[in-house]
Amino acid sequence: MTGQLDRLVTVAWMAFRGSVQGLRAIGLAAFALMPTLIVAGIASAHPSADTLAASAPLLFELLTLPIVAMVIILVLSVAQFRNEIDAEILVYLSARSVGRPTLVVGKYLGATAAALVFVLPASLLPLAVATLAGGTAYSASVPAAVAVAAVLATVAYGGFFLFLGLATRSALLVGLLFGFLWEELLPLLPGDVPRLTVIFYLRSYLSGAVSSGPLSGYGGAVPLTLALSVLVGIGLVFVVVGSAVLRYLETAPEKESA
Amino acid sequence: MTAVVDAEAVTKRYGEVLGLNGFSASFAEGITGLVGPNGAGKSTLFRLLAGQLKADQGRLTLLGQPAWGHGEFRHRVGYCPESPALFDWMTGNDLVTTLLRVDGFSRTEAAERSARAMTEVGLTQDGDRRVRVYSKGMRQRVKIAQCIAHDPELILLDEPLNGVDPVGRASLSALMRQLSSAGHHLIVSSHILYEVERLTDQIVMIANGQAIAQGDLHRIRDLIDSRPHVIDLETPDPRGLARALGAWDHVVSIEFVDAGRLRVMTRSPDTFYAALPGLVVTEGLTVRSVRSADDNLDAVFRYLSEGRR
Repeated sequence: MTGQLDRLVTVAWMAFRGSVQGLRAIGLAAFALMPTLIVAGIASAHPSADTLAASAPLLFELLTLPIVAMVIILVLSVAQFRNEIDAEILVYLSARSVGRPTLVVGKYLGATAAALVFVLPASLLPLAVATLAGGTAYSASVPAAVAVAAVLATVAYGGFFLFLGLATRSALLVGLLFGFLWEELLPLLPGDVPRLTVIFYLRSYLSGAVSSGPLSGYGGAVPLTLALSVLVGIGLVFVVVGSAVLRYLETAPEKESA
Repeated sequence: MTAVVDAEAVTKRYGEVLGLNGFSASFAEGITGLVGPNGAGKSTLFRLLAGQLKADQGRLTLLGQPAWGHGEFRHRVGYCPESPALFDWMTGNDLVTTLLRVDGFSRTEAAERSARAMTEVGLTQDGDRRVRVYSKGMRQRVKIAQCIAHDPELILLDEPLNGVDPVGRASLSALMRQLSSAGHHLIVSSHILYEVERLTDQIVMIANGQAIAQGDLHRIRDLIDSRPHVIDLETPDPRGLARALGAWDHVVSIEFVDAGRLRVMTRSPDTFYAALPGLVVTEGLTVRSVRSADDNLDAVFRYLSEGRR
């Protein structure tokens, strides 16, 4: 018999493999291509080199992070528990001798890795297309900051959405409301209210990591290290809370067979 | 015999609906059949035993441990749920091996155990095909394979023969008997009573979330002997036969089913069958056929569940 780490890796690998195949994965891959296609469309209109170079980071901040990445992470994270409970297949894992926290952490790691398979290309390909199409070359800090922000978004949103999948039967709906109302509207409000959103810390991180261009100079941003800590912290806290929830959660659908 | 599962007044509600309603029963070592119609509460009991649901009231233990518990203890239990759903993107071999790895087996041992379990359920040749393309019967087999592969003491099989072809049923029934002979304890549910009757004499009957009878099948038959039995008689003279049978004090009721058939309810079927030939001879009556509705377990179950209403 092997230890919890081996079991954790097995659960994570299973979650990853299940997430990156099938029709859902094809749909997510197509969705992830959207920012790249938009930048390609902009490039086809032959704008100036600076305008073209500015379009990709701007799109990352306004479309890729808050919509494309958020939806991809939501779909994959919620699927880990809620879909499996509803499909009556989580039982094959939860009825075994593996600890329930191991299941939560393993699935979180697997779903995070799987989400990055879609989110990283969605974040970086537009930059590559803009450069290849004649846009002004980016400094190394731009793609690096974009990549790190994509990872941080996956870590933070992934933890929260995984928890939602454990906490509510309407996880997808609640997740969409969170993404499109909470994350979109609260940053528009004055004072410290924007600090209650994940996107605030993502923009803060980008602002601290990139010295010029559309990603820099986010008004009211907190320091880079604080932003980074908060984003990682959000992911960890929700994984811990999710582990506690799963210990007491009934993982069978609430019905008697017909 | 020691009880491997003990239930005392276990109640489980799904909102307003009662899945189990004060269910009390003991499941002995060896094979026990859990018999009841669809919606009786069989799957709810299995989900409680598998630690997937928590009882609202009552006490439920398996192998001396509370059913609502997780972790290492679960290694001693194998669970085959009723639902045919599986991780469709995996192959049969991959599924069983991965679940064994989740259970803590090393890569090598998981592969060996998986191969053995797949052979036992007759899926060796299809082990490398994706579960997505499996028939219902093959799904049942792979579900049983993942349930027995870690060599658990207690095996919970919820409707394991559902969707399996007749040849498969025979081989899986043989496998269950073989597992029992090897010292495993099995609880097997079914709504098809003859399946369980062929597998074991030890049964628990469930209806409306309650255990309505339990123990040896013959004891249950004794238990119902005090209850009226229904016997159908075909005769060209139903009125004459009814008049003659009406004189017997153990005959509870006589019903004219159609022009040539009577349905008699008697409290003493043995006396009825012993005296009927004499009656036919002395009264000069003709009886073309006698058919007891109590020939199989189905009738036993019907009697018991109706008796509780």
